[in-house]
Amino acid sequence: MKLTIGNFYVKDIVFGDELSYKDGVLTINKEEALAFVKEDERITEADLYIAKPGDKIRLCPVKEAIEPRVRPDGKGIFPGYTTDLRQAGEGTVHALKNTSVLVVGRHWGGFQDGLIDMSGPGQKLTYFGGLQNIVLVADTNEEFERYEQQKMNDALRRAGHKLAEYFAACVKDLQPEEEEVYELGSIRNRGEEVEKLPSVVYVMQPQSQMEAMGYNDLLYGWDLNHFLPTLMHPNEIFDGCIVSGSFMPCSSKWSTYDFQNTPNIKALYREHGKTINFLGIIMSNLNVALLQKERASQFVANLAVQVGADAAVVAEEGYGNPDADFIGTIVALEDAGVKVIGVTNESVGRDGAGQPFVALDEKCDAIVSCGNVGELIELPPMETVLGELEALGRDGNSGGWDYDEKLGPSVREDGSIIMENNGLFCSDQVVGWSTKQMMDY
Amino acid sequence: MSKKAIVYINQFFGQIGGEDTADYEPTIHEGLIGPATAINAGLHADVTHTIICGDNCMGSRTDWAVEQILGMLEGKEFDIFLAGPAFQAGRYTVACGTICKAVKEKFGVPVVTSMNVETPGVLMFKKDMYILQGGNIASKMRQDVKAMVNLANKILDGEEIGPAAIEGYFPRGIRKEYFRPDKKPASERMIEMLLKKVNGEPFVTETPIPKIDRVPIAPAVKDLAHAKIALLNTGGIVPVDNPDRIQSASATRWGRYNIEGADGLEGGVFKTVHAGFDPAAADADPDVITPVDALRALEKEGVFGTLHNYFYTTVGTGTTESEASRMAKEIIPYLKEDGVDACIMVST
Repeated sequence: MKLTIGNFYVKDIVFGDELSYKDGVLTINKEEALAFVKEDERITEADLYIAKPGDKIRLCPVKEAIEPRVRPDGKGIFPGYTTDLRQAGEGTVHALKNTSVLVVGRHWGGFQDGLIDMSGPGQKLTYFGGLQNIVLVADTNEEFERYEQQKMNDALRRAGHKLAEYFAACVKDLQPEEEEVYELGSIRNRGEEVEKLPSVVYVMQPQSQMEAMGYNDLLYGWDLNHFLPTLMHPNEIFDGCIVSGSFMPCSSKWSTYDFQNTPNIKALYREHGKTINFLGIIMSNLNVALLQKERASQFVANLAVQVGADAAVVAEEGYGNPDADFIGTIVALEDAGVKVIGVTNESVGRDGAGQPFVALDEKCDAIVSCGNVGELIELPPMETVLGELEALGRDGNSGGWDYDEKLGPSVREDGSIIMENNGLFCSDQVVGWSTKQMMDY
Repeated sequence: MSKKAIVYINQFFGQIGGEDTADYEPTIHEGLIGPATAINAGLHADVTHTIICGDNCMGSRTDWAVEQILGMLEGKEFDIFLAGPAFQAGRYTVACGTICKAVKEKFGVPVVTSMNVETPGVLMFKKDMYILQGGNIASKMRQDVKAMVNLANKILDGEEIGPAAIEGYFPRGIRKEYFRPDKKPASERMIEMLLKKVNGEPFVTETPIPKIDRVPIAPAVKDLAHAKIALLNTGGIVPVDNPDRIQSASATRWGRYNIEGADGLEGGVFKTVHAGFDPAAADADPDVITPVDALRALEKEGVFGTLHNYFYTTVGTGTTESEASRMAKEIIPYLKEDGVDACIMVST
């Protein structure tokens, strides 16, 4: 399977008369784009903003991030979700780099939403603080979940996924500035030079904890709660086979942007043929019932053995209950003779004194640890807020609160905030961006 | 105005004498004695006093010796307290840890000491203070003093103290996020660890798996028919106004609620605040999490003695093990005071 990603490096984004891309400048006709968003009748109010690194902007509640992309062959970028099902991972896709479409609630947030700062001490805390972002701030008529702590955010998230393709349409027929080629053939017959290297699979555990449909990550439009582990090609992940969901404290989440660019998979690709023989992806999930966890672990270990993996990397999109899947899968793989590296974050609490994972096993001896969900973070006021800052404390955000006897409310009158890392948008970056590391103090 | 420091050393380094003078009672001296001179040379503070105490005196008459020293420090101005370095001298390490802990608690000033890994002082005090990883013999004096001074200076200058492995102190049982100055992303750290592990080379995990702290299963209740049973839960069942403001996730608070005479918990009166599951079923009938109805029926049948008049609640999702054990320690005295024989803990 061969996928070519044609990159267009966005240096600036401006509003103008016509959607276009020229010399690194993305021009957006705001009215036309908003009219496109409002084609979904659920969207009642919408506006577009540009948020660049260094801008004095705070975004909250952020619900999703997507890299703008389009396929020159006219096929949709999220098969089985926004468009017809097709095989992802083949052909050519064009991508607007250094930029993301961020979706922000005009008023209402929830457990799963996050916060992004574009400057100041909070900027480095999220990957998106370093990107040129096109920000959709919108509200919907989804009254049934307006005051729910757990929100599907379906209209807003879909608006973001569609907008990402809408914006990238302007580079559909242009010549990319750079091409990344990802090609990996059959697991068999790779030649002696490659086959003598240690063979590695990448095991993904995306979020699937909600029993109710509409909240979990979707694979080709299929809810990962109703799923058993299967073998996949890494290119499928890069080409929109999976979109992010709307569940889990936000620092642990993998946005769709993260999936489209997963650095861990790119790193394994880079090593392929040099130091490892990269066999591919085992896609798993994170269901809540113990039997489901054990069944998935068993499938993963068996698949890894069947494809001849010497080693595996296991990465989980979550903490707490999902730790049982993460630890259980590592143990199942190690027991099957597969050497495992785990990539995750920890929950050691505000004081840092807690146990890192809900489940523990001494066989998990090689962990890359990207953050503490309970890390206490205090940030100064920000000149401009896109969305509604009150959502952090009011709407049950996993990292915010309206009352604390010692710390006071998360959102203070002067606009400064105190929160847990839990509520920062996709900040633990277990997909591989993370330059944070957990250390003993 | 320059800052001030006070240094603690034992009888040997205080030039009183060897083992035969280990019972030497604490004394305080203006100025610099022994290692205090070297400490003073690099410290961003003036060492004003040196305290000397025999290791046996501190070891065998601990409370008295500590009291004497705290008394000597009373009224003295100092911004930091340093002890040692103690190298691999077992009693000296415990003495340094003991006096540092007492001084920190009494005067609220930062304390710094240094010990070798193979000593009881490290095991006893590493969670209480910065203990630099010291050498095993006194010939390491120069480097151990330098390490102590470097860390002490960071504290004195109000600089952020980095991770244990980088600053050279023993981990204090605290884990925090560290932004790597080299900005090496997780993906590269993953590849490096993977190649080392798969090729059989030594590697260092970023999450050492802690010793698993298993709670032994309690012995069976001998006389269930007369036992008082309490109901506890991590499912977030609270009166609808959530009077204790228990958080929906990452809870740090708990509450107890009276159920005297109630045959069950009613929806609309009680609800769940737990954010980790669909609340519909528990809001409609809180007994699905806290089965007061079933327990009342069993109580009437005489299966057990009595149901305790309060049920206890917190929220389990995202709640750390350290917060959970603190809350348990707060709840237990209430249960004991009320003569509860056994608990049913409902998790969700």
